[in-house]
Amino acid sequence: MTEKLLMGNEAFAHAALEAGVRVVAGYPGTPSSEVVETIARLRAQGRAHGVSVEWSTNEKAALELVAGAAYCGARALFTCKQVGLNVASDALLSLNYVGVRGGTVLLVADDPGPISSQTEQDTRRFAAFAKVPVLDPATVEQGFAMMGAAFELSERYGTPVILRPTTRVCHASAFLDVAEETWARELPEGGFQKGPRWVIFPKRAFEAHGEINDRLRAMASDYGSDPLLSQFNERVAGGVAPEGAPMRPPFAIAAGGVSAAYVREALALIEREAAAAGVAVPPYRFLQVGTAYPFPEQTVARFLEGAPDVIVFEELDSVIEDGVLQAVGRAGLAVRVHGKHDGSTLDRGESSTRQVVFDLARYFRSADNDHPVMPVLEAAIGRLELLHCDEPLPPRPPVLCAGCPHRGSFYAVKRALGKRDAVLCGDIGCYTLGNAAPLDAVDTCLCMGAGITMAQGFAVAEPGKKCVAFVGDSTFFASAMTGIANAVYNGHDITVCLLDNATTAMTGGQQHPGTGLTLMGQQRRPIDAEAVLRALGVERILRADPFDAAQAEAAAREAIGFEGPSAVVFAAPCIQLAPPKPPVAIDGEACTGCKRCISSIGCPAIGFDAAAAGPASKGRGTAFVDEALCYGCGLCAPLCPFGAIQPAPGAASGKGAGQEEADA
Amino acid sequence: MLNVLLAGVGGQGTVLAAKVLASAAQSKRWAVRTAETIGMAQRGGSVVSHVRMASQGEELYASLVTPGTADLIVAFEPGEAARALPYLSRSGTVVTARTTVQPVTAALAGAPYDGAAVIGALRSALADQAPAARLVAVDDAAVTTAVGTSRVLNMALLGAALATGGFPLALDDLREAVRACVKPQFVALNLAAIDEAARQAAALG
Repeated sequence: MTEKLLMGNEAFAHAALEAGVRVVAGYPGTPSSEVVETIARLRAQGRAHGVSVEWSTNEKAALELVAGAAYCGARALFTCKQVGLNVASDALLSLNYVGVRGGTVLLVADDPGPISSQTEQDTRRFAAFAKVPVLDPATVEQGFAMMGAAFELSERYGTPVILRPTTRVCHASAFLDVAEETWARELPEGGFQKGPRWVIFPKRAFEAHGEINDRLRAMASDYGSDPLLSQFNERVAGGVAPEGAPMRPPFAIAAGGVSAAYVREALALIEREAAAAGVAVPPYRFLQVGTAYPFPEQTVARFLEGAPDVIVFEELDSVIEDGVLQAVGRAGLAVRVHGKHDGSTLDRGESSTRQVVFDLARYFRSADNDHPVMPVLEAAIGRLELLHCDEPLPPRPPVLCAGCPHRGSFYAVKRALGKRDAVLCGDIGCYTLGNAAPLDAVDTCLCMGAGITMAQGFAVAEPGKKCVAFVGDSTFFASAMTGIANAVYNGHDITVCLLDNATTAMTGGQQHPGTGLTLMGQQRRPIDAEAVLRALGVERILRADPFDAAQAEAAAREAIGFEGPSAVVFAAPCIQLAPPKPPVAIDGEACTGCKRCISSIGCPAIGFDAAAAGPASKGRGTAFVDEALCYGCGLCAPLCPFGAIQPAPGAASGKGAGQEEADA
Repeated sequence: MLNVLLAGVGGQGTVLAAKVLASAAQSKRWAVRTAETIGMAQRGGSVVSHVRMASQGEELYASLVTPGTADLIVAFEPGEAARALPYLSRSGTVVTARTTVQPVTAALAGAPYDGAAVIGALRSALADQAPAARLVAVDDAAVTTAVGTSRVLNMALLGAALATGGFPLALDDLREAVRACVKPQFVALNLAAIDEAARQAAALG
């Protein structure tokens, strides 16, 4: 065992391997991707023996593969981000009725904020809908422990189990002891045992529903009594009643997920402040609900005994709060429940220690405004008032990287469309960033693969408009092919622009069926997306280099002019895969300061110096190239009407050597 | 408890800087938690890394520095220093690079934002609102020019932050952490950046 600084997702990967996981499958999505990548890396290093790991084509494929492995008795792990579970939900809801033999854990990462997602959906709710247990870690270490417990729980009841960390747990790091080597558990004797239970029929589903209900009741009880699971519903008491004062019932505080950590921090902060001022903190009791579903109702009812009030802290939905309300109602307790429903806590977005301090202060104040800790709390809150700088700051939204091939593809399509009325449907990936000025080339973005099918809806509803859909290569294989079949079958007039950069760029550069390289280190024959388009019946398919502006524009023009489904494959690798070329140079003598280069493509490597006075600029200033950012793609050079942009003649690029480290 | 926020632009190396600080704290046997910005913001957006160190044996639950409590903000870009200011505690220190990274929006508007003006505004904001707080503006270009690459900006700023005093980690703790965290072929460059930053800080007194 060695202690290492591990990111949450790395820690969860280690925990799954230490639990003997044999089959791992997922689809990339922030904040979940590093789990599968870590398992693949440890396997490649020869440290994780016997595990099979893959990026599947999409989440549904991954979960179904995991189900098959689990039927054989293998311990199996599925990973995705919260919206990925929407894609895999068809499999999940049925799988719970069938049940599993080998421990089956679904790591589904939620994203309060949201920071990198389309929704703030709550997987704890999804678990309740699917009637599947869910564990909800507050910290990296707790998530590590929950992974092992989830496998045990899964096998105890033959149920899939969801482990639901959030971004701030997935992407937090802490020092952990992990095993140097791991071995996947052997399959149980005989492997897959054929029998009627594996075939879901209505009659069997009715029986299974009863079994599910029985096991949920049993699990809710385990959550309160089994040390393996009850450790995640930790109860803490603090504060003191002032001597001689009438006994005041303790404040009750419940929390789940990372909010539990914020509450512990907030209470520690309040206690530090109170101690420094020589006053006591009123008595309180705190419960973390780490087992969000089935709701540990008896544990919570016991926790609430004698408390007139409880406040609940949780991000996303009011899952624990609703469970508390239910527990209070069923037990007939006279407890006022505070949380999202009455505006006592945030109803969306991320919480924080600071926010919890404010909410707790309000909670204490409403119950006992004369308590001696109140002035101390007010003073602490005053010190937490935020400093501010009034100088206006330029917004810094994420942008397509300098040298990104998508920039050329978007520019070509915009040029080809000219002033034609068109709808440009985007999709999920780096290329969503094509919506920013000056490209302004993404009018819609909904969910994985939706751009292609939505374009068909626009084409049907507004036949006069040209409908173009952009889709990345990984998204293409994940969820675009059915949409293309639909366009061909129903004869919709759309143009699909396949932005093939040979990787899943947004989530960190994962392989996919179009690259053919697997996480097991094998190079399969890549699936040719163009051949897929042809096989699906797309009649007009063109191919272009997005950095060749004339060729790319001509291809886009021809495809857009075609009546019926057409496609352009814009193929050029992501800059993460391609070495940089020498940076271009802008001739300050020739630059007129017209800004055509900047206003056409918005490359972050081209800046404008309003103070530079070139001979041709007539006091307007001149454009310049940031050599540290420029990848030398050359897209900008032909845009200059005055020939002021030239690739640097034979300049050796210094980029590459140190960069990897600085960006690591 | 020591709360450190590292603020920069995607690609400037906040993640490695956080790892190095965490390693330095670990070698002092302090409990440490860090948190990162990963995902869309990495594409040239504003990014922050959080490092929390329980330097006095405190319990450490949360990985994020909560606004209003950072003891130290190390900003690799002046605009990002200003953006991160709400994190600073009233007695904290901001160490910022002077060199700006102009966002595309600034080029489109044709009006680059003025890093010196931002630093001036930061200075007066602290004077007005938090007289006990400190601001250190580092001539990062002088350091990276002396070392020969801007890729070591992150270590230059960490070096400057520790050299200007007040933070209970020594430059040698930082050097040791660099040796532990950075790929061997880049250790010398990163150490050179720390040395140069420390030398310039000392020269300024």
